[in-house]
Amino acid sequence: MNRFAIADCTSVDAALSQLKDGAVVKAGGVDLLDRMKDGIEQPEKLVNIRNISGLRGIHETDQGLTIGPLTTLAEISDHPLIRSHYQILSDACGHAATPHIRNMATVGGNLLQRVQCWYYRSSDFQCIRKGKDLCFAFEGLNQYHAIMEYATCPSVAPSSAAVALLGLNASVELSAAKRGKRTVGIRELYVVPDANPTKFTVIEPDDLLTAIVIPKPAAGTRSAYQKYGEKESFDWAIADAGVVLEMDGGICRRAVITMGAASPVVRRATQAEAALAGKPITEETARAAGQVAVQGAQPLSMNSYKLDLFPVAVYRTILYAAGQRDRDPGAAG
Amino acid sequence: MNNRVVEDALLQQSAVAPTKKTVQMPIGVPGYTLTEESREVPVTEPPVWPINKDLKYVGQSVERYDGQAKVSGRARYTSDVQLPGMLYAKFVNAPMPHAKVVSIDTSAAEKYPGVRGVHVIQHVLGNAVLRNPALDAVKYPVVRYAGQPVAAVAATTPAAAEEAAALVKVRYEAIPFVVDEIKARATDAPKVFPGAADEEGSAGGGGGPSDVRQTGNIHGPSIHRHGEIAQGFKDADVVVEGRYVTQVQTHSALETHGVVADWKPELLTVWASTQGTASVREELAGFFKIPLTQVRVITEFMGGGFGAKFGAGNPGVVAAALSNKTGAPVRLMLDREEEHLSVGNRPSSDQTLRIGAKQDGTITAIHLVAYGTAGCGTGAGCSGPASNLYKTAALHTEESDVFINAGPASAMRAPGHPQGAFALEQTIDELAVKLNMEPIDLRDKTDEHPVRRVERQVVRDSDLWKSRNPVAGASQGPVKRGVGMAQSVWYRFVSMSSSAEVRIYKDGSLEVLSAVQDIGSGVKTVMAQILAEQFGVPPAQIAVKVGDTHYPEGPNSGGSMTTLSLTPAVRDAAWQASQMFLSDIAPALGTTSDDLVLVDGEVRSRSGKFAPISFRRAAAKMATSQIAVQAKRIPDYDPKKYLTYGGIDVAEVEVDTELGRIHVRRVLSVHDCGRPMNPAQVISQINGGIIQGISYTLLENRLLDPIYGLMVNPDLEQYKIIGAREIPDIDVRLVEAYIGQSSTDASGIGEAAGVVSIGAAIGNAVYNAIGVRIRQTPMTPAVVLAALRAPAPGKELA
Amino acid sequence: MSDPSESRPAEGKNDSATAADSGRTGISRRGFLKGAGLTAAGTALLDGVQAFSSEAPGASTHGVTELGPGPVPVRLHVNGAEHTVQIEPRTTLAEALRMHLGMTGTKVVCDRGVCSGCTFWLDKMPVNSCMTLAIDAVGHNVTTIEGISSEGEIHPLQAAFVKHDAMQCGFCTPGMVMSCAALLERNPHPSEHDVRHAISGNLCRCGTYPKIFAATLDVAGVTRNA
Repeated sequence: MNRFAIADCTSVDAALSQLKDGAVVKAGGVDLLDRMKDGIEQPEKLVNIRNISGLRGIHETDQGLTIGPLTTLAEISDHPLIRSHYQILSDACGHAATPHIRNMATVGGNLLQRVQCWYYRSSDFQCIRKGKDLCFAFEGLNQYHAIMEYATCPSVAPSSAAVALLGLNASVELSAAKRGKRTVGIRELYVVPDANPTKFTVIEPDDLLTAIVIPKPAAGTRSAYQKYGEKESFDWAIADAGVVLEMDGGICRRAVITMGAASPVVRRATQAEAALAGKPITEETARAAGQVAVQGAQPLSMNSYKLDLFPVAVYRTILYAAGQRDRDPGAAG
Repeated sequence: MNNRVVEDALLQQSAVAPTKKTVQMPIGVPGYTLTEESREVPVTEPPVWPINKDLKYVGQSVERYDGQAKVSGRARYTSDVQLPGMLYAKFVNAPMPHAKVVSIDTSAAEKYPGVRGVHVIQHVLGNAVLRNPALDAVKYPVVRYAGQPVAAVAATTPAAAEEAAALVKVRYEAIPFVVDEIKARATDAPKVFPGAADEEGSAGGGGGPSDVRQTGNIHGPSIHRHGEIAQGFKDADVVVEGRYVTQVQTHSALETHGVVADWKPELLTVWASTQGTASVREELAGFFKIPLTQVRVITEFMGGGFGAKFGAGNPGVVAAALSNKTGAPVRLMLDREEEHLSVGNRPSSDQTLRIGAKQDGTITAIHLVAYGTAGCGTGAGCSGPASNLYKTAALHTEESDVFINAGPASAMRAPGHPQGAFALEQTIDELAVKLNMEPIDLRDKTDEHPVRRVERQVVRDSDLWKSRNPVAGASQGPVKRGVGMAQSVWYRFVSMSSSAEVRIYKDGSLEVLSAVQDIGSGVKTVMAQILAEQFGVPPAQIAVKVGDTHYPEGPNSGGSMTTLSLTPAVRDAAWQASQMFLSDIAPALGTTSDDLVLVDGEVRSRSGKFAPISFRRAAAKMATSQIAVQAKRIPDYDPKKYLTYGGIDVAEVEVDTELGRIHVRRVLSVHDCGRPMNPAQVISQINGGIIQGISYTLLENRLLDPIYGLMVNPDLEQYKIIGAREIPDIDVRLVEAYIGQSSTDASGIGEAAGVVSIGAAIGNAVYNAIGVRIRQTPMTPAVVLAALRAPAPGKELA
Repeated sequence: MSDPSESRPAEGKNDSATAADSGRTGISRRGFLKGAGLTAAGTALLDGVQAFSSEAPGASTHGVTELGPGPVPVRLHVNGAEHTVQIEPRTTLAEALRMHLGMTGTKVVCDRGVCSGCTFWLDKMPVNSCMTLAIDAVGHNVTTIEGISSEGEIHPLQAAFVKHDAMQCGFCTPGMVMSCAALLERNPHPSEHDVRHAISGNLCRCGTYPKIFAATLDVAGVTRNA
């Protein structure tokens, strides 16, 4: 890890004043230190926001929830209100990474972590996401990579929290000293690599993520998230699904189905959502929705198995969200 | 026998062959086959121990000797050693898989603040060596794998060493390379070596034969046969054949390879994370051409080896050279990436196995053709199980190493055997299906080992085996349950370089010393138990000093040799010391030594000449301040008998056929290891073998990018190792199997412990669950789903 | 390592060999020289100021305390005692504990937060010291494996680990003890399922898990065969 100076900040304004000249924000530090230890980033200055108490906490408002970006994954997953009314988020944060990382990692950091592609994460490979020309995964080892929307880079969206927050139609508040505050939807937070391979998110160097805003779910909403890996104990998703069901008695009025490990940024499986709308939730309808979840997918040389996994992840998570099935004991995290 | 006889015998030992005596020893398995046999043994040998239930400390699950140190963080490992003025060293590693080193410019690194020395490697260790070294006539060692160390820097902080290492300018001339072992077999493949190259066998089981031909990258075949193989297949009623492919696994010990070397003019002291203090000393003395007396190697605690940690290796030699150059102690511990790349792995295998049998199960022919890669080393042979488990009229094995531009393999827990058993034991299972026989019945027919016969009975009687549905793929729903079994074999290797010294001090304290290292298998505890048994005092009162070549020679801990090699020497020393002790104190107690016994912490008179006195008070009557006896391992009592042991694993799996996930729910593991010296510690090792084996079978894989030749997962995140949630319920049944071979009659367990047979047991259980045989590891969701999609026989291989 | 794309020969073809310079891309020479200059100045400046601590934020102005890149004095509260160490901001807590305070019970294995061998308690919470900057531990109670015994008595969980032989090589053991003891702190009566999840990020290569489950459940008053 390179040598760096650090500005330890105790207020948002103080932090914003420091975001200049290539300074990089450090919150929990998990993903940033990981990248620095791997030698793929060498910032000379970090802005430590970890001690800004105002950026931490879960607040219920009339419109829904506001979550401080420094709230840890463990705090979110254990929060009674989130467990009862936003289960998808509790599931996603409660099964990310390892228990100890969840105690340290912040939800803001989880949203902004970089992709896990092994070529990107290795200082040995200067890939297109690091400003060079090549993607090594297309012809190389791509078993954990994307099956959709990957023309430029087939790495997959790494954040479980983003899969859940997209399902909840959440947005983030960004603050900058010069521009003030703006609000960006979760999907819009991410820049697809086809548009700009080195950008990752719309966050500018002087921006600070200052809040996550979740609208109040409609009455009768049920939700859940599950991810599957090769392992159960701590693994990155090879398939995952976030499901939000707005139920009207036994009928699903509206469904939102989201996925991370299928594509470079989190996506909604709109065909699967359409397949459920207006129908009762049964194993049959859930499976039918799962079948169309990755319609149009084009596997790479080593990941056609993901075409089998996503429909299963989706149907089982629909049933889990609907209360018709327990959390899958084989799910990861 | 009285102690005068012992003393006389000891005196005469070097001059005259010791006189023999005949003893009766327990043989077989208590409750099943226990009997007695006579053995001719040297008169200096202690009395025969009864079976475990009649001993007080040996054979009991005595608390681990260093347990308190380990749970409290006090245990000091090599990576914890910090000496005054110590420097930190960092390797400069080759960034490409095959290259000539044109030049190395260390000037910038040498000027970097904090740097005290830079070393350029002239002899790289571990790789196979050209038979004609002239073919590599270049100034620096040729780079044969990405991650091969080229130079090293020592500096006052780890960060300075790492930063300076990046400043060493190395010019490489790239050479075409090959990392795909199938492509490497082609005649026009880039050659890893310009001529024939060999890696000599090592203490830990790495390396391979050197008397074989080499064609391109194919080193071999090494051929073994008995009987007429063609006739064997002619005589067969049924023939089964399959191709089995296993991946490269890395040892991934939690403590990486490394040393702290402190080279003073009179003595080179090296703290090493090693399985063989002696092997490190020998390699350093040989490399630097200094006497063994000028090298001291210390291993207080070590954080896992699994076969990869023998000898000084590149880290040891380079750290010593840097210490010599700088005049300061140097710590060189590898980082996690280097650990994956450069210090060993379990070779892959690509086996085609064909077995012919009569309708009654009699095996007529076993034919194995195996390729495997040990990177730029050798040692991928895997014919052990096919050659040693079953009786066959004809056997033909052909094994070849395939060189690729990857780090050299090393021994890894039962070298070759998990691979070989994966193929053999699934093929036997397939044969049983074809013959419409129970898998256990078929093995009863063809496996003559008396202990495994007992072990099969234990399996047959188990609830888990009884719960097996003999019809494959019978369970309903997407998650299918299956049960399968497989057998293992390992061999009795004895290291004669096994000695121990036992000391009795005048204050009544007792001590045992040996250079042997405790790598976590618990030999310290066992040594304490032996003294406790001999002196009648609790094991907690025994001081055990190991892991230092200043003590009497100890065996290297590889090949399951430690306990069976060392413990007889410990017992002999303890017994002889006790006899000397009794003769020493007898006059002061007004009796003779044969009237004295040591029991329950006391010295007692058989004839009641005096009231029992404590061992401590008796010791105070010693004439001198200490009694010390050193004993050396004597050969096995009957080395021709019972050369192998093993066991059986039964796995219960659930296969989620929609997700392609295999979960091992339960394992029954029935194993023998001679006299189990400490059952709790033996069970710990078997648990470990099972768990490592499941991890190997389902998850682990060293992944090399096919185009650039670099490992893409040199970490503990994408290199996937089983964790707490996947651990099955493991039921270990230890089978006490007395074999009458030494004064302790111990055997070893590290290799046979589960790891050999669990992969095949899982394969057979998966077949039982889904009716499709998976002949490839790791059995990831991708592999399982592919097999389910194309279940035609022989076509499952992805 | 250098970018292999610049120098690779195609596999299987006898292309003419190309030459390339190596040198890890991580540190640039220019970056080093700049850093070295700052180090000297920074040290001199900070020698005169108080250690960075929660009570005395040192060179703080308007909610910003600037530290480093050179060594700065940092006050840590470890196992009930105050220590001031002179460290660069990039120093992890694991490095500070092991190299500066001589507390080597905390082990570094993966150095990336995925094996939990380096587990310590930040206040009462188990986290990874390899991924925690030492300066982020300022103002918190740090508890390490050396600190969970009290007054010479080993923690009941440590005793249970010994009783059940829940270790082999012992290298994962401190992290396992810290993780399981933290679980018992927040849930004195965990199920086996709870134990498995609590250590799902702890890696043991010797395979001691069954006995770790048994030891932890034993302290919780549950008997498990392992």
